Amino acid sequence: MSRGKYVLSLGLFSLLMVFLETGNVYAQSSSFKDNIYSVGKLKPRDSVLTLKAGDSAPDFTLPVVDGATITLSQFRGKKNVVISFVPAAWTPVCSDQWPGYNLVQGLFLKNDAILLGITVDNIPTLYSWTKQMCNTGEKLWFPVLSDFYPHGEVASKYGVLRSNGVSERALFVIDKKGAIRYIDVHDINQRPPLDALRTALEKLNQ
Amino acid sequence: MMSRPHPGHRICKTHSVIVLFILILLFPFGCVSSETKSSSVISPTKPSPPQGKKTLPVFEFPVPQKTGEKNYLGVFGSGNFKVTQISTPVLIIEIFSMYCPHCQRSAPFVNDLFQSIQGRTDLKQRIKIIGIGIGNSPYEVDLFKNKYGILFPLFPDQDGTISKMLGVSSTPTFIGAKINRDGTTEQFYFTSGELTDAANFLSEILNLSGLKQEDKQ
Repeated sequence: MSRGKYVLSLGLFSLLMVFLETGNVYAQSSSFKDNIYSVGKLKPRDSVLTLKAGDSAPDFTLPVVDGATITLSQFRGKKNVVISFVPAAWTPVCSDQWPGYNLVQGLFLKNDAILLGITVDNIPTLYSWTKQMCNTGEKLWFPVLSDFYPHGEVASKYGVLRSNGVSERALFVIDKKGAIRYIDVHDINQRPPLDALRTALEKLNQ
Repeated sequence: MMSRPHPGHRICKTHSVIVLFILILLFPFGCVSSETKSSSVISPTKPSPPQGKKTLPVFEFPVPQKTGEKNYLGVFGSGNFKVTQISTPVLIIEIFSMYCPHCQRSAPFVNDLFQSIQGRTDLKQRIKIIGIGIGNSPYEVDLFKNKYGILFPLFPDQDGTISKMLGVSSTPTFIGAKINRDGTTEQFYFTSGELTDAANFLSEILNLSGLKQEDKQ
């Protein structure tokens, strides 16, 4: 083999090794964290709450990730309801909040409550995002609702729609009569501690 | 008047350009693969910071209330204890969050790791594990502990101060440190990402901490 052909063969072989090596590197990557879009530090609150504890919770009907629809009033007389508004899929604090709630189904069952997760994202986005929160083949135990169209209508009814079109990070606890018993419009940059929600749920039975 | 280049010289120059091009291509990929391969048992989310001779920062936790946990750590009484008072030459620290899916998925493997160490008489007094729940309240840490049946002590780091001192920005992060008898420390391991293989992780810890070499001597 001439020197030229030898160098060329060596080059092609090296190039092949580069592509094989690249494949291995990407196969090792566990990607949830790398897919999170950093939003930086935001204005803690950017909406005006129009509801207060004791008010009747505005009714709504929204599509659910699994294809069904849910109407709030369907739980009246049957279940307490916790609504968890989170601002947006694939953002830092939101991506950590519901996986935590996914661990504590017992807390909701014990207090005869159902959890409804709501964002202004569309269904396909919510499907992909919530899938990343669970092990393969599993899904969140609570329904995730899309307030995408008309955009943010439910968030607006609850007074938690921010000026840029996403919702606040907010929790509403609604009793079986449909009355709001607890509201936490949290600093959007921080996750609400579970302790406060537990206390609010336990108060429902007092 | 310019001289015409020799044909052989031109071929050689072309080959040099090809080789240079390939080397440029190889260089960055070589760097990436060496970083990820350094921890084959963690699915990395972030590359490890430079290892070097880094010491563990000094931080404290309340002495656990459970007798089993006190005995495990070798700390007694009440009040706080310093991490360097933990009775072990090698300490593994897992920085986790109850809310982090990777931490949830890693939990069974970290339990395997704990049980593997406890099941070996040559290791159970020489490697201890603690978990630090970043941004988690005591209630949230307890929920995580009960959910996954975690047997080693977990401590809340609700305001993230300790995790910040340790330089942790994502969870889970696994840190390995040697605690010397004179109270000095040496951090020999730092990797963020999901733990997927307890046996290989333990093997890495044994190699990097020097415990394996000690046993051969």
